[in-house]
Amino acid sequence: MLLFDIVFNGNDSMYAEAEKAVNDAVAQYGEDMAVGFPDTAYGPACYYAETGIKITTLREAKEALVYIKGEMQRERRLDSVFKSGIATALSAELIELMKYIDGKQPYEAPYLGHMTDAQIRELGVPLVTYDIPAVAIIINAAPSVEEACALVKSYQAQGSFVCLVGGIIEQLKEANYNTGFNVRVFPMGENISSVAHAVSAACRTAMIFGNITPGDKAALQEYNFNRFRAFVNAFAPLDEKTVACGAGAIYYGFPVITNDMDFTPSIPKSLIKQPKVEEFNATSVEARNIKIKISNVDIPVAFGSAFEGEIIRRKNMQVEFDGSRVDCAELVHTCEPSEVEDHKITVIGPEVDEMEFGSKNSIAYVVKVAGKNMQPDFEPVIERKFHNYINCVEGVYHTGQRDMQRIRISIDAFNAGFKIRHIGEVLYTQVKNEFDAVVDKCEVVIYTDPAECTRIRHEVAIPIFDKRDDRLESLTDESVDVYYSCILCQAFSPSHVCVVTPERLGLCGAVSWLDAKATNELDPAGPCQVITKERPIDENLGAYEDVDEAVQKYSQGALEHVTLYSIMQDPMTSCGCFECICGIEPFSNGVVIANREYAGMTPLGMTFSEMASMTGGGVQTPGFMGHGKHFIASKKFMKAEGGIERIVWMPKELKDFIADKLNKTAKELYGIENFTDMIGDETVAEDPETLVAYLSEVGHPALGLEPMM
Amino acid sequence: MPFNRKPQKFNARINTVTIGSGDKTVAIGGNSTYPFYTFDAPTENTAKIGVEISDMGLEGLAEGIRAYYDGAATMADIARKAAAMEGADFVALALEGGDPNGENKSVDELIEVVKEVAGAIDCPLVVEGCKNVEKDAELLPKVAEVLQGRNVLILAEKEENYKAIGAAAGLAYGQIVGAESAVDINLAKQLNVVTTQLGVNAQKIVMNIGSACAGYGYEYVVSTMDRIKGAALSQNDNMLQMPIITPVASEVWGVKEASASEADMPEWGPQDERGVDMEIMTATADLAAGSDAVILRHPKSVATISKLIQALA
Repeated sequence: MLLFDIVFNGNDSMYAEAEKAVNDAVAQYGEDMAVGFPDTAYGPACYYAETGIKITTLREAKEALVYIKGEMQRERRLDSVFKSGIATALSAELIELMKYIDGKQPYEAPYLGHMTDAQIRELGVPLVTYDIPAVAIIINAAPSVEEACALVKSYQAQGSFVCLVGGIIEQLKEANYNTGFNVRVFPMGENISSVAHAVSAACRTAMIFGNITPGDKAALQEYNFNRFRAFVNAFAPLDEKTVACGAGAIYYGFPVITNDMDFTPSIPKSLIKQPKVEEFNATSVEARNIKIKISNVDIPVAFGSAFEGEIIRRKNMQVEFDGSRVDCAELVHTCEPSEVEDHKITVIGPEVDEMEFGSKNSIAYVVKVAGKNMQPDFEPVIERKFHNYINCVEGVYHTGQRDMQRIRISIDAFNAGFKIRHIGEVLYTQVKNEFDAVVDKCEVVIYTDPAECTRIRHEVAIPIFDKRDDRLESLTDESVDVYYSCILCQAFSPSHVCVVTPERLGLCGAVSWLDAKATNELDPAGPCQVITKERPIDENLGAYEDVDEAVQKYSQGALEHVTLYSIMQDPMTSCGCFECICGIEPFSNGVVIANREYAGMTPLGMTFSEMASMTGGGVQTPGFMGHGKHFIASKKFMKAEGGIERIVWMPKELKDFIADKLNKTAKELYGIENFTDMIGDETVAEDPETLVAYLSEVGHPALGLEPMM
Repeated sequence: MPFNRKPQKFNARINTVTIGSGDKTVAIGGNSTYPFYTFDAPTENTAKIGVEISDMGLEGLAEGIRAYYDGAATMADIARKAAAMEGADFVALALEGGDPNGENKSVDELIEVVKEVAGAIDCPLVVEGCKNVEKDAELLPKVAEVLQGRNVLILAEKEENYKAIGAAAGLAYGQIVGAESAVDINLAKQLNVVTTQLGVNAQKIVMNIGSACAGYGYEYVVSTMDRIKGAALSQNDNMLQMPIITPVASEVWGVKEASASEADMPEWGPQDERGVDMEIMTATADLAAGSDAVILRHPKSVATISKLIQALA
């Protein structure tokens, strides 16, 4: 039989039951009889939320039947299936409503039936905070009592709220399993119609917490779909009524997981067949895209930022791992969800207690992550946090990164029982907690076997690092669709806004375009926001209407125009954290750059500090600009004024630091070899006259350029 | 040349938030001018004053404050006297005894205090937490629950606990959410954004953008308030149009000018007067910079600030 027919038949029988229940009640009590559920201001909440009409009498219940019948469309279209699903839920609610007529209390322990408004309000807060990660609705008896208890327990262990319908309730009772609202296991009723109480909870949550106007069907569906993290586990055999209710659940975005392998066709992500009951929890959580909050790190020593600065000296050291001597690596690797088993930690090779005291060993850990919003670009952002995570372990110390990390485990930590696999626990917990916006599943594999470490380092990690570096190199301002704002510094410099582009990192040197992108994804309301670049004014200057609008907005009106590539026309502002300042040097038509570390005099007659006083605080001073060290070698460095060939002077230390990249750029842009050698430094000149003499001698190209002002 | 009056008109205004229920309510915000710029446009609502009381009773309070509450034996008595203070618009109950690093009173114990105070007075009520983010996340949702229907302002949700407090106060129990940030326009805005994303109505949010006692890094407060009002009015930024409430008392009564005894500092003059001076100076500066309501303790400060507001209105 086709799914259409199953749902339509199930809907028909549920409706027929509802019709009979209402008609019987009318015959017994008359149409004016008041009806309602106890302790709620919403009446039958599913019907109220869907239609905006609150049923208060049997007459209105009869009218509701007419409405429901009208929704029971029988065209072979998905829309009819969904409408019939909702009609089934509304019919179920009427059946339940009739049970409560005349002040009756139809349910006795362990059955609880209707949920009160007070309970919904109490549930709502932990649902919002993710302390209740999910609402599991379990229908029918599990294959065995043990499996029933194990499944419910697995949800409770996560903090999820469990609603029970049908045979599973008897199973739990048989096992003396404690149920009730307070333990978050809520047995609703024996019959499938009692599932209406769970739907009612979802609808009331939408009205209370989502401000959904009763009757706004689209908003209700959207709220339930996006915000109410429920799913259904339905055990075999499924009857038509249950499948029809399932259609309603799927319409609201609640996936149905069943072990009934032959009855129903499956629908990807919505109606999922899972023969193994022990996999129900993982399948459901993944299907509904639920993230489980982890509270503490399960390791035998303390964990916290208090231990971040701790140094383990050789005499206190049990073992060490050293990437500069032996093969080591640390890597985040994006995988498909099916390739990752959440919270699995594997150690391949010897554990700490099998290593010689005081020895130097290999270690390579690969953190496999999967998530709907995960992008390979975030890998290095996550990786860079490993240093911080591992350092927060009491008695463990970490420096370096990529394949050059060094880890020491202290004798005290070893004696407390700290093992290699605990590094995996730490990485797992921290990655899941801090990157929950992008990481849904996480698995850690730690290699200590030297041969495996060599393989991982040379065959897996290094090719990936190379690929990443290539990607960074290939990222240009032209090749991306958006830039990012960064206002991290506004606490100190209220009107400063950085516009971060691939070729122009933040002036602090710490926020690259990829960092800004990751910050934006991880914290959408945070300091880095998307800036489009759809309306260019002058591409050579790097002037965009979009950029101007963003700068106006994020500086609260203090700035109106900013160009990306000019230091003369509307240069980008500076907060005060710039790594370098460049300033115009009028005698040579060039610019002088000073880095923060340089304490001496520049040919401008100003020290770095004096230049900084003209540049910081979010003001625009044409001719002066703060920037990051790596920006110097960028092809976009004051491109509007001719680019890097304007650079006439830099402190020697900075020159040496940037020489390779700068020479490469100069070669590409102008065909000049060893450009850095033409740039003056403090050993050549600290005044403009000597500098110009030097520049003429070496034939610096700036002397032949147009004056900048 | 004749004087040409040019009012600064904004096409935006601060939200009006009404605290309290029944006959006795107080409206804060609602203006479309900079503070006290009555020459630009008529003032919708004048600034309001709350009187702070604490679950710790009269313990540790300045002499002049204790004298005012003389004879008040219970929290109910204290609350009634606070509500009756000349110039007071509302009462602010601070549950400072809940601080785990202090008295560490249990949530149940504090809820009893809340009930007693709420039962004794019918004026608008603000409830302040204990300032510990974890404890507040547990305590303030309960406060919101027991005060259903009173439309109280819950101070405060912070970045660390906004979900628990925002959802309870703003969604489940229909109270007003106080959003507290630390003297930074972007953090203030970000908290408003995430709170509204939870589903809390922007019209039911009041900001505490953080404060300091005058003389204690106070210029940050001024510039932050200035910029918030500027963005709200001139840029029509609706994520910054929430009215601002500033708890002044908890900042000023702890500084040395207010707490050093006259015996220790004879050249500084009477202790009580110094505290009042600090409270009045700070509150005046807050109001001039953009606060739509201030929370004070001393009856003399309340009377003085009230007079100031009336005179400038």
